[in-house]
Amino acid sequence: MADTAIADAAEQVLASRPDKAQLIDKLVAKLPEHVVLHAEEDLRPFECDGLSAYRKLPMIVVLPETIEQVQIAMQVCYANDVAVVARGAGTGLSGGALPMENGVLLSLAKFKQILDIDTANRRATVQPGVRNLAISEAVSDLGLYYAPDPSSQIACSIGGNVAENSGGVHCLKYGLTTHNIIELEIVTVEGERMTIGSEALDTPGYDLLALMTGSEGLLGVIVQVVVKLLPKPERAQVVLAAFDDVRKAGDAVAAIIQAGIVPAGLEMLDNPAIVATEEFVHADYPTDAAAILLCEVDGTHAEVDEHIADVREVVEREGATEVRVSRDDAERAIFWAGRKAAFPAMGRISPDYYCMDGTIPRKALADVLIGIGELSKKYGQRVANVFHAGDGNLHPLILYDANIEGELERTEEFGGAICELCLEHGGTITGEHGVGVEKIDQMCVQFPPDELTQFHAVKQAFDSKGLLNPGKAVPTLHRCAEFGAMHVHNGELPFPELERL
Amino acid sequence: MTTSADQSQQLSERVTEAFAHATPLHLRGSGSKDFLGEAVDGETLDVTGHAGVVNYEPGELVMTARAGTPLAELENVLADAHQMLAFEPPHFGANATLGGTIATGLSGPARPFAGAARDFVLGCRIINGQGQILRFGGEVMKNVAGYDLSRLMAGAYGTLGVLLDVSLKVLPVARTQITRVFEHSAAQALQQISDWQRKPWPITAAYWEDGKTYLRLAGATSSVDSACEKLGGETLDDDTTFWRAVREHERPFFASDDRPLWRVSLPPAAAMLDIDGDCVIDWGGAQRWVQTDMEAVALRRVVKEAGGHATVYRGDAQPRFHPIGESILALQQRLKKSMDPAGILNPGRIYPEL
Amino acid sequence: MQTSIIPQLRDTPDGQEADRILRACTHCGFCTATCPTYQLLGDERDSPRGRIYLIKQVLEGEKPTQKTQTHLDRCLTCRACETTCPSGVEYAKLADIGRELVEQQVERPRHERVLRWLLRHIVAYRNRFAFFFALGHLFKPLLVGPLAPLKQKMPPRRKALAWPKAENAQRTMLVLDGCVQPVAAPNTNAHAARIFSQLGVRLVAPKASGCCGALSQHLSHREEANDFARRNIDAWWPYIEDGAEAIVLTASGCGASVVEYGHMLRNDPEYAEKAARVSALARDLSDVLAEEDLSQLGDLGHGRQVAYHPPCTLQNAPQLHDNVAEILTQAGYQLTHVRDPHLCCGSAGTYSILQPTMANELRSNKLASLQAGEPDVIVTANIGCQLHLESAAGVPVRHWIELLEPAAAA
Repeated sequence: MADTAIADAAEQVLASRPDKAQLIDKLVAKLPEHVVLHAEEDLRPFECDGLSAYRKLPMIVVLPETIEQVQIAMQVCYANDVAVVARGAGTGLSGGALPMENGVLLSLAKFKQILDIDTANRRATVQPGVRNLAISEAVSDLGLYYAPDPSSQIACSIGGNVAENSGGVHCLKYGLTTHNIIELEIVTVEGERMTIGSEALDTPGYDLLALMTGSEGLLGVIVQVVVKLLPKPERAQVVLAAFDDVRKAGDAVAAIIQAGIVPAGLEMLDNPAIVATEEFVHADYPTDAAAILLCEVDGTHAEVDEHIADVREVVEREGATEVRVSRDDAERAIFWAGRKAAFPAMGRISPDYYCMDGTIPRKALADVLIGIGELSKKYGQRVANVFHAGDGNLHPLILYDANIEGELERTEEFGGAICELCLEHGGTITGEHGVGVEKIDQMCVQFPPDELTQFHAVKQAFDSKGLLNPGKAVPTLHRCAEFGAMHVHNGELPFPELERL
Repeated sequence: MTTSADQSQQLSERVTEAFAHATPLHLRGSGSKDFLGEAVDGETLDVTGHAGVVNYEPGELVMTARAGTPLAELENVLADAHQMLAFEPPHFGANATLGGTIATGLSGPARPFAGAARDFVLGCRIINGQGQILRFGGEVMKNVAGYDLSRLMAGAYGTLGVLLDVSLKVLPVARTQITRVFEHSAAQALQQISDWQRKPWPITAAYWEDGKTYLRLAGATSSVDSACEKLGGETLDDDTTFWRAVREHERPFFASDDRPLWRVSLPPAAAMLDIDGDCVIDWGGAQRWVQTDMEAVALRRVVKEAGGHATVYRGDAQPRFHPIGESILALQQRLKKSMDPAGILNPGRIYPEL
Repeated sequence: MQTSIIPQLRDTPDGQEADRILRACTHCGFCTATCPTYQLLGDERDSPRGRIYLIKQVLEGEKPTQKTQTHLDRCLTCRACETTCPSGVEYAKLADIGRELVEQQVERPRHERVLRWLLRHIVAYRNRFAFFFALGHLFKPLLVGPLAPLKQKMPPRRKALAWPKAENAQRTMLVLDGCVQPVAAPNTNAHAARIFSQLGVRLVAPKASGCCGALSQHLSHREEANDFARRNIDAWWPYIEDGAEAIVLTASGCGASVVEYGHMLRNDPEYAEKAARVSALARDLSDVLAEEDLSQLGDLGHGRQVAYHPPCTLQNAPQLHDNVAEILTQAGYQLTHVRDPHLCCGSAGTYSILQPTMANELRSNKLASLQAGEPDVIVTANIGCQLHLESAAGVPVRHWIELLEPAAAA
């Protein structure tokens, strides 16, 4: 495999200096003027996504209104060897939609229509800019919903969900985005429209749907999505269990699963997270607890009764100091509201936060949480933990202040150490947020060169010029070599002036 | 219990060697699914010796096993811990292996309700076409680091890599299972199943054959009971045997004649196809088995119009898999090349071009 | 979020407040979900988060152009984003600061200046507005050019109801008469006064009080808004010293402004304390009434179908509390289901005049949701929404208080 050729292409794109004025002319020749933004004043609001620690002013932003316009934008960029970064709602937490100073940012935010709701086949055809929650709202009257529910579901768009393979609170039982979509319409890097997947449950040939999902905008631009709809459970109820010790809470998680219950959601918040969210939501969380578990079970009335009793028994046996069961949907919504708003609620106790996303085997929960606590002391920075315990998907939020010089750098290093701790326990660096730019160096730790080379080869099959979202998700070997060297010398990481390849 | 042995190195050396000489390899487990797809002309690479459970912790809901491990053995290990492979893979033979199961990506009657084989793949170790041993995914529930190449292996028929180990998500066995039977015409069955699926009931299979709909419910006892009460219908005795027969094509329908057998994959609510032949409906409408003498091209035209595709299971029709469009085929060719640059892994098993 | 505000702004009260607000923002984007303009336009620059960024640029020393101004103008200041924001970003305060900064640096085209000047100098003054309102009705055909949007905004003239005497009332409350409402819907306060009188409360509207200041605030003249606030405080103060229990706001748009007096005048040594007291006393009509015993009003609704449009100000100003639905239900009305109650109707103070295209699109969406349940009447709690909706609705649009006096309203 010509790895060096692939790496060269990628690095050439990253280092390219396209003629901006010329590209604007070419775009405007084929697109309405108002969809092509190029003045700094207009570009600035697009300089970052939900991870505002990383910012880059895009060279040009294109805001297409039709699929044809997406195709034209792609064709022009392809013909001129210009990189393209696709962006949905801009709520991603790994910098996957971080623009490029020498590239075009392609916003899909104007694609907001739900095109079709097919009740007989239980599916909806939606444009990529449709908000995750808007789908469930639109089909609610039919007794249906779309299952994956990332915490940002109020705002995040389905196109972005597919690109990141987003999870959510309920994916322990209902799966990730990849389990809940059946067909995609994409525009290739050359500007061609292509259908991936089908209206049936499978498609002849390779399962490109699985490959596209979670590919972080490196393989194609998603312009239409067909999602699966599920019947709304008859009832859902949440048990809130408080613990005076994080280890006990971690063990209770494993015990619930071991008891043969598959909860619809199983979430944990540690003390700093409880305190911060309580201030915004007033869910009456016990603010003196070391950790709380939120365990939701759903199904028919009888089934929920049966499982709630089981869960209560398990958590009491595992030493819960307090157990509450939601009495109605309103209370259940309040229990969840704190969890769903937990990340941004950190804005109330700290100017900035850095969210990690490692996933580990459940049995390692307590050890890793305690390990993170030790790292927190070592780096002298506060951490709040709020995460999908049932999946073993951690979200340590490192609190910092970007206005203090050096804090972001220290935070990144701390984050890297957490990633590596997860890997030591047999986990992965990212469960659902994606690698983006944030965790790209840790990819070098998780994957040996042969695997990375294979990823690049796959990428080349879709995008031979390496124009789609370059520098994200999969590091070049060159970058890993550099990171490895820096890693050995320790403490110097990262160099902000160094281009994040 | 079969022997447990790690033959990764030997297998990798074989592939490296084949890559160097551009020798096509015919990947093979027990051969239980040889009848699927096209024949492969190449040296046989037998993976059955690479067998054994690598890691299984019921509390983690994950099992990792080597590709040559017999499926039946895995299912026994799981059953001992009251767990199962929720996608209910068909064996199509006594010695079916895990590798063949994932490579063909086949799923049983639970497919539309629980998910497909690919949905349960968490990670795998493979040998690519250059003989390199690569690991993708992992043993955790969620993992979005790197492209999802492990799920891509499901249904790739070994044309992208030799499966070594596969990590699967496993689930607890339901506490109660009941199957109800209803008298329906095919059209009624499709309508009824579609309606039922909009209810929050624990349905895990829906099958129609010869005037009868069979609906399987499995889950918490209370939940199954209350659904049965609302549904009505007759209870089927020994339904475990019944569903095994559906899964393994052991129902009389599948043995009844010499006409070609087609697997037709459709949107679940698609109307009954207007074709001359016999049909049973599985997967709540999304998978239909058709015995017909109809020409492949004509049948496929009808199926495609209904939004689906058709695969030959028995008979001589060519090609075995439904042809795909030019640009998507070209993309798949490039993908194949990226993993198997010399084109030595099961060449032509799916399409001549792959 | 990281900030670096330029030195000449950094140490001003505005600069400090802006920095504090910006730093709370984590750029999560939740606000985009409930922003009416972003939901329509899908352009980051027309979302709260994008506008925060546009304002941040100006604070950090970039020179804005008309483009930034356009995106800030398009904001309805409905504050739905604030209710959605988990980080507690006080967007509206930042928007006020940003708009004024941009206003100072970007000259508007002549027709915009004329229209804005007219709004500030006529609409905000009851008598001038009444004069032009009468004149407007006379010369409706002459409203062309920049004044054309006004034509459609011209509500019908209504006959005034008598204000009750309430001589025996033991308790006193103040009510804000305002600027537009007494002219365009003179009976809202009259109805309120009659109902309060039945409850033993005398409602007083001192003549010297007037516009709450929101108009000037929206048009980036915050000092002018402060003057309106001072004028109202002066008019109310003697009554407050005499023990007036509350300042009742019958238009939630004005309410949202009066509850901010304390904040607006916090740096004015002479008024800061009084303003804080006034803000503390200011309450929405429904909030005050909910505490009274309304059972004596009896079953007024007889199951009549009512669609309620809660004004953004009532939903999103944290100090205002909305009890309209409860009161109407108690009075025997049947409230219809209304989709997306959080979305603005497009009225938004002067917005419907300054941004007619957006405002009309929002209004048609809003009316579609309001009328989906086939109500007999649409009610709201703010004069702006009432007039804006009324001009295109297929059913009558009223202030909800009128439903508590159906005989008088008929």
